[in-house]
Amino acid sequence: MNEAIRTQISAFVDGELPDSEADLLLRRMSQDAELRRAAAEFLELGRAIRGETSVPGIEVLRARIAAALDHKAHAAEAVAPDAPSGKALRPLLGIAVAASVALVALFGLQLTPGVGTGGPVEENVADVAPDPGYTVPRQVDEQLRQYYLSHGASSSELGANGMNARLVTLRLSEETLVEEEDEEEPVTDEQATDETPAQP
Amino acid sequence: MRRPAATALVALLSLAAQFACSATAASERVEPNEWLSRMSVAVQQTSYEGTVIRMRDGKAEALKVVHTVADGVIREKVVAQEGDGLEIIRNGNEVHCILPDRKSVLVEEWSDQSTLFSTLPSSEVRFGSEYDVAIVREERVAGRRAILVAIRPHDEYRYGHRIWLDLETAFPLQTQLIGTDGSPIEQVKFADISLNKTIDPAMLAPSVDIASFRWIDQPTRHVSHKIDSDWQAQQLPRGFRPVATHGEKLPGSDEITTHIVYSDGLANVSVFIASADDAGSAGASSVGGSNSYSAVIDGHRVTAVGEVPAMTVEQIATTMMLR
Repeated sequence: MNEAIRTQISAFVDGELPDSEADLLLRRMSQDAELRRAAAEFLELGRAIRGETSVPGIEVLRARIAAALDHKAHAAEAVAPDAPSGKALRPLLGIAVAASVALVALFGLQLTPGVGTGGPVEENVADVAPDPGYTVPRQVDEQLRQYYLSHGASSSELGANGMNARLVTLRLSEETLVEEEDEEEPVTDEQATDETPAQP
Repeated sequence: MRRPAATALVALLSLAAQFACSATAASERVEPNEWLSRMSVAVQQTSYEGTVIRMRDGKAEALKVVHTVADGVIREKVVAQEGDGLEIIRNGNEVHCILPDRKSVLVEEWSDQSTLFSTLPSSEVRFGSEYDVAIVREERVAGRRAILVAIRPHDEYRYGHRIWLDLETAFPLQTQLIGTDGSPIEQVKFADISLNKTIDPAMLAPSVDIASFRWIDQPTRHVSHKIDSDWQAQQLPRGFRPVATHGEKLPGSDEITTHIVYSDGLANVSVFIASADDAGSAGASSVGGSNSYSAVIDGHRVTAVGEVPAMTVEQIATTMMLR
């Protein structure tokens, strides 16, 4: 990794990288574990510089980013020349969404450099020791999204509150699609030939 | 010579008055719960076409809706009139979410039989003693006479509902989810509607040519099986009780998540219990009138989700314990 890339990652973590360059860097990060590790180091460094001994949820968030990006890389690789035709062209939608949400959360962290006091904390009822930390944006993350969807399905099966549950589900579905689309990357010519639109 | 005409006029006026009175009397005679039972039947059997206004989070959006049921199969089309022009087309359990401006179709399976506008439980026993159900008054909604039924909770652990039912068919023309301060949190209202009309199959077809669109499969929502769980809430709000316990494998996770559903007969709260190292949000979150709260308890992440006030999900989540 050359110095230019490290400078770029540093700027990205600090929220100072222009959007166009950030997009490109994210694509590279999705393919390069070393770049992700570097980004994680910069995040860690930023914490240390700011004297933050504990940032609630940051480890979890970082793990999710790494995992989601790993999955996304695999998903990109999975679109091989013999990819199945038909409507199931994007089987890893949920993973793509996870990546999207994780990245949004990452950007959120960049945009909230101050130390908040009223932010949500990871609460352990048995051992509540909230440390001051970032004001982590309240995103409905992928896991929570799945919980809402599952709750909506269960509620409907029980015949109760169908409308409200369904409308929430509908809204989340819309967001899913939009986020998945936002996460889409330009495909290579080779991939493009494998993604010939199809319908059932 | 004028007498027969006068008599006819009086008779006609009398008949009209009787008709008007009978409609009002009908609404007065029928018990509130009976109206809700009729509503449940109506939403399952009524074909309709109309424009729905959905209001939530300070926003209003219009949706064109076509719905029909034939041989027990629900066919439905919902088209957003603003923004991206989202279309949702349901044919039985298969649902296509179409985004024209993105030339994409998201394919989902809805395993249940509920529809977009199915609403509340059908049986009065579901309401238990935590709510009062009352007929409030008659109003006009979407140009039709409607009866307003209010479901009022006894405490602040649950939301209320107002439902305007078509006087003729008991179809819900307007519904509101009412917050603890008495103001609507979410509202769905028909601006215009045609009930029990014959739906031309062409009306259920996509409005745009989707031949060249990309098709995206939504991962299976969940696979669940009934399990026994040692988890239970220590301080359930009054009236809530466990009604189902499942193990679920959710998309994006390899582990089996325990899913316990609590219900007061009307409002449902789902509690999801996963390992604490399974990444997820902590604290409170909301989508419209739905709230969630997540806490770590005994090495598990416990998340409560429901169409109830934030304090309810927080109380349930934070008092979950292993027996």
